[in-house]
Amino acid sequence: MSDNLSNLAGKKGLENNLFQDLLKEAKEHGTPDDEKLKDLAEQYLVGDANAYGATSFYDFLKKENKGKKVYMCSGSACLTARTQDDLKKGLLENFKEEEIGKICCLGRCHENAAINYNGTNYSGIDSSNLSDIIHEDKRELGADTYNVGTNVSDPILTAEFPGIDAYYEIFKEVIKNSPEDALQCINDSGIRGRGGAGFPMGFKLGAAKKETDEQKYIVCNADEGDPGAYSDRYLMEKQPHAVLMGMMISGFIIGSNRGVLYIRAEYPESVAIIKNAIEELEAKDLNGENIEGSGFDFRFKIVEGAGAYICGEETSLLSSIEGQRAVVRVRPPYPAQRGLFNKPTVVNNVETLACVPYIMKNGGAAYKKFGTEKSSGTKLVSLDSFFNKPGIYEIEMGTPFKDVVYEFGGGFKKPVKAVHVGGPLGGIVPTDKINDLTLDFESFASNGFLMGHAGVVSVPDDFPMIEYLEHLFEFTADESCGKCFPCSIGAVRGQEMIAKARTEDYKIDKKLMDDLLETMEIGSLCALGGGLPLGIKNALQYFRDELKAYFTNN
Amino acid sequence: MMFKPNTASDSIEKEGVDVDKKIAYIDGQAFNFVPGESILSFINRSLGDDSIPSLCDAPNLKPYGSCRVCSVDVALEENGNARAQASCHTPVLENSYIYPHSDRIKTLRKNIIELVLTDYPEEKINDNKNGTNELQVVAKQVGMEHSMIRYPEGKNHFDFLKDDSHAYMRADLSTCINCYRCVRACDEVQGQHVLSVEGRGFDSKIVMGLGSTFADSDCVSCGACSQACPTGAITDIFDSKAVVADEEIRTVCTYCGVGCNLSVKVKDGAVAAITAPYEAESNEGHTCLKGRYAFKFYDHADRLRSPLIKVDGVFQEASWDEAYDFIAKKLHSIIDTNGPDAVAGISSSRCTNEENYLMQKFIRAVVGTNNIDCCARVCHSPTALGMQRSFGTGAATNSIKDLKKTDCIILIGANPTSGHPVTGAKIKQTVMGGAKLIVVDPRKIELSKYADFHLQLRPGTNVAMLNMLLHYIIKEGVVDESFVADRTEGFDDFKNMILALDMDKLSGITGVDKDLARNAALCYATAKNAMEFHGLGVTEHSQGTFTVQLIADLAMITGNIGREGVGVNPLRGQNNVQGAADMGCQPHQGAGYMMVDNADSHKQYEEFYGRPLSNEIGLKIPEMFDAAQSKDLKALWIMGEDVVQTDPNTTEVIKSMEALDLLVVQELFMTPTAEYADVVLPASSFLEKSGTFTNGERRIQRVNAVVEPLEGTKPDGQIIVDIMNRMGYDQPAYDADTMLQEISQIVPFFAGVTWDGLTDNGKQWPVTGDNEGTEILHTEEFKRGKGLFHFQEWRESNELIKNKEQFPFILTTGRELEHYNCGTMTRRTNNSIILSEDTLLIHPEDGKAKGLVTGDLACLSSAYGKVDLHVELTDQVKPGILYTTFHFPEVLVNLVTGNEHCSESMCPEYKVVAADIRKAKKVEERGIGEVTEAS
Repeated sequence: MSDNLSNLAGKKGLENNLFQDLLKEAKEHGTPDDEKLKDLAEQYLVGDANAYGATSFYDFLKKENKGKKVYMCSGSACLTARTQDDLKKGLLENFKEEEIGKICCLGRCHENAAINYNGTNYSGIDSSNLSDIIHEDKRELGADTYNVGTNVSDPILTAEFPGIDAYYEIFKEVIKNSPEDALQCINDSGIRGRGGAGFPMGFKLGAAKKETDEQKYIVCNADEGDPGAYSDRYLMEKQPHAVLMGMMISGFIIGSNRGVLYIRAEYPESVAIIKNAIEELEAKDLNGENIEGSGFDFRFKIVEGAGAYICGEETSLLSSIEGQRAVVRVRPPYPAQRGLFNKPTVVNNVETLACVPYIMKNGGAAYKKFGTEKSSGTKLVSLDSFFNKPGIYEIEMGTPFKDVVYEFGGGFKKPVKAVHVGGPLGGIVPTDKINDLTLDFESFASNGFLMGHAGVVSVPDDFPMIEYLEHLFEFTADESCGKCFPCSIGAVRGQEMIAKARTEDYKIDKKLMDDLLETMEIGSLCALGGGLPLGIKNALQYFRDELKAYFTNN
Repeated sequence: MMFKPNTASDSIEKEGVDVDKKIAYIDGQAFNFVPGESILSFINRSLGDDSIPSLCDAPNLKPYGSCRVCSVDVALEENGNARAQASCHTPVLENSYIYPHSDRIKTLRKNIIELVLTDYPEEKINDNKNGTNELQVVAKQVGMEHSMIRYPEGKNHFDFLKDDSHAYMRADLSTCINCYRCVRACDEVQGQHVLSVEGRGFDSKIVMGLGSTFADSDCVSCGACSQACPTGAITDIFDSKAVVADEEIRTVCTYCGVGCNLSVKVKDGAVAAITAPYEAESNEGHTCLKGRYAFKFYDHADRLRSPLIKVDGVFQEASWDEAYDFIAKKLHSIIDTNGPDAVAGISSSRCTNEENYLMQKFIRAVVGTNNIDCCARVCHSPTALGMQRSFGTGAATNSIKDLKKTDCIILIGANPTSGHPVTGAKIKQTVMGGAKLIVVDPRKIELSKYADFHLQLRPGTNVAMLNMLLHYIIKEGVVDESFVADRTEGFDDFKNMILALDMDKLSGITGVDKDLARNAALCYATAKNAMEFHGLGVTEHSQGTFTVQLIADLAMITGNIGREGVGVNPLRGQNNVQGAADMGCQPHQGAGYMMVDNADSHKQYEEFYGRPLSNEIGLKIPEMFDAAQSKDLKALWIMGEDVVQTDPNTTEVIKSMEALDLLVVQELFMTPTAEYADVVLPASSFLEKSGTFTNGERRIQRVNAVVEPLEGTKPDGQIIVDIMNRMGYDQPAYDADTMLQEISQIVPFFAGVTWDGLTDNGKQWPVTGDNEGTEILHTEEFKRGKGLFHFQEWRESNELIKNKEQFPFILTTGRELEHYNCGTMTRRTNNSIILSEDTLLIHPEDGKAKGLVTGDLACLSSAYGKVDLHVELTDQVKPGILYTTFHFPEVLVNLVTGNEHCSESMCPEYKVVAADIRKAKKVEERGIGEVTEAS
């Protein structure tokens, strides 16, 4: 948001980090108190207002959060699974109302009934285990299980880990050769960003490589905020070295010696596992100065998020690392030119980076053999608890979507009328459209939907679509950074209209709703406000009959 | 601009477009664009300003993209698939087709404004006075109003409380639209980071500090937020932006040497408010609380409104004629009896060039003596002399805008965020933008927090410190050899002497670590472009002139002279201290710096003034005081200078005033000096007269009268003209244009200056005959030919040698942001609510040793006198060092400052006084800080 604040943060470097200092205070004291804020403001030269402004931006830093003892997931999958009302009742037997916070989302979409308690996530909670969690502090109950599968014979992301030594052979090989060779390999693979936008990875790397700054950064966007998606969590917890090697090779390509993993606070296990994996690398001298005598240096820094969905947007994420309010920046400049601390930065999603070791090992062409012409490779799909076989599936791009739903997912446990694919900003696919789609960027887009990060949230037949739409507006209103007018005001007004129509004798002016959606879609600064209308419009189109009671001049 | 912009009515494609340059289309019509420019700028430039509505964009802020109202449709082919793009932050693509007002864009804008109005109180939008509520203007432009809102009533922020806690700033956030212009102004313009935003999404709210009020925050009252706010959610007590004025007149600030241009709103013949013009080159839409808000002194009840003649020790009102007759008679008698050299004049750096010119002309041509000096004596006389010796001319070599081109700044003995706030803010911006900063100052000043190096030297050791820097530059082999060879002389001897210095010894003297000094020296020397700034912390020392010469050495040895982003740049104290010296208000040089004892120039002056002139160098201010006490000087004429409060060793100054047979003082207020006058002549303030001020970057700028002179007062220039006429010299009535014509004929670097030719932004001298100004001096060769290296050895100040046994502390003095010099003007404004007294800063260790805690009243004593003032314990100063200001006559801090002067220029050594402190004995005796003159 502010070049000055970015530069000031840059002068402090990565080791001293205002954002992490604030988080540390919040973990210890609920929220940083005024005296601490003044200290930090002085130390980082940002002024009291910015220290306070940043604190107030994040769910887990703000003062309203002080005194919260347990957080209930408010994500879409837990909502449509209707597990949270009972869960809340159970929690209220142990906590006061004001001690229960909400958190969106814990990535336990395959089990639901999810909470975060004492820094550990739990899901699938019922009356039988709640007491053990709260009173016995049985952390082992936090472990979750889900199916993992693939439809490719030579998996890129879900293969068994062969051990560090074997796995990093290719890394040692890559850094012996030229960065240009490695970049060529990425370009040959045709890999596009897996975070949702599908931007070619090689293009970003090439752009940052061209910049002449001495300091550049690789940032891993591990702020997997889309309710319904937990594939990045899978990668960080089950395939951490794929992610770390992907970052190091990216650094090697662009000439960066620093990598930052921005991991959402909602995934404490991921943070621990990644930290452990980095230590493994350090122990083997695969990380640090002059790795393997190649002259290539690389060090990691883990930055934990603090509860703000918008941080999944790359420029907000960069501001967040810098200790600023995570407000979306204008482009240009693009991060590849001026990103973290105003230095050239490549921000890539966890899954994108995790593909890099395979591409290096097997060559870009081998990767490109998978998938379609424009969507090469495979994609991880997250399936929620409505599926008979919920879990993470590595699916070759171009695979019929029905195969994912009915073969891998094993179909639904109960009647489902729509699947919301690609997170809250994705499209709402009525069940009867599933057969029309293949799993790739183009098929979803041409049918008026969005593959996005490929998290799938089911909306069962008995879940009112109007309630789901209100949830989407509410989610956007809660998570809007507050910068652009269409999103920050529009989401609230949209939610209010729906709430009013649901509870009062009020019908929504359809023209007004259309205007609002168009205003947000074409007027918003980023994909949050700009993306919300897609799903709403899908619902208005495909569930017109169900929704018409709430609208005038339909 | 590279081409002549089309107008919207041109219908033929590509007519008037340079086909060799980049082209884009607006509504199908071709225009050239500047590569990299935003669509908004492109459209406004091509079709005229305000073609596109916008709420978050502002002239001095970076594109932000929050309101989205400036969105336009952009297609890659004619009538192709268009995408809505916010024009403020989207660069123009070559051959793109821009549709600024397509139907869907018009609808989009209307729908956005509809959303905004749902959270904007209807009654307050209609409260608007003169179309300054930009939301109202834009709403009208897009065809939306409250009555058209279709949304049901929902959440709003109408109940936000107002903040009226501050002396100037006001907030009513119920009318805030979250465009963040204020936050960005606080960040990008002032760099203070007092404003931010609380919460997120719809609940985002502007906050001051930790969510408090303006008064409780670290706000410096610069008013940038108030000027930036589109809706008046943040404003000030004058409602500066919205107040309806009869006229708006541009003039130049009367306070410091930055020379901010001000846009003064006048209503019913009175000043209603002041804003900063965005297009002003000297301040680029910014100013500080003195320039913007501290103007209410001008019609304060305390203003003098009649000439006063002292009869039997009591002032009695007199007519102008009576006063003039009294003075003329007395002056004639003194001149007849004691000769013209028994008369002296002290001119004023607060007055215009024209007035200063007249003052020295009066003293030289009418009285017949060179006893003319000005307050440059007590501030930057060492700069003028030192730079003249090294370069040939004593003025800043570069322009403030060069900050945009520099990579490294060395700031020596200056605290610009207080003393020169707009330059201070620009330095801070430059450093936050990535330039290196080296601060050389005994105190931790605001900018030292942002510095890469802070050389916190002991006061009085500047020469030793600079010698350390020069030593390491030579020793480490980072001298710009070719510059030294081609452009300078005297280097070899200089080099040998510098290399012979013992760094351990100098480190011991300065108290600055050798490695720190070495690294700072390398930082300055190896920067591509390094820029030097200095202030009174350099000059007000016994070795002030020598220090300036060493600064010149530093610039020459590294080749940092003669191009953009470099140079030696004294931060001139007063608004027109540069001009006062330029106009000849010094005893050795006449108007245009020609020596009075040089036969040719003496002859030239005599011919020009048409009178025989003295060819003997006259008295400097301290010499005048001595001469008064020895009865050699009988009459002193002071124009706008409070020597009793501001010159050192007040007790002695008062004795000198008392010894005079005639003291004439031209003043706005009854100052401590005026109290000793025989005749006081009521003068007009800068708001009431026209003329020119020359700022610290040699920029001659037009001062325009915005109101009539207060009844009973006259512009200083007219007073001088009147007395000249009364004493038999025919001088036309005071008029800026006419005076400039006269000045341009005698001052060589004013040759091309005319009133009309100066235009709004002024010209930097030398101004050649064809009206061309000069941004950078010494580009090809120095004024004196080759730059001259001087070696100087550090010497302990006599003050410490004589007095440090008895007075073991070192007192050094400076300024606070809120007050200007002796505060005659600022104390009569709300600035005195913000800061109401001089405070003594002492290190906590010293406080402990002396049994003092913050808030205690301490007695500060020196060999010259003692004063009581409250203390603040702080690590801003090192142990053994004391710091205070001298803004308040209730304290008269200069009672304790001493008699030492710069050996070359006679600039007093305000910055080093041997002092002692103890807890004050009689706390109740004097009420400190009880200033009640706030308007």
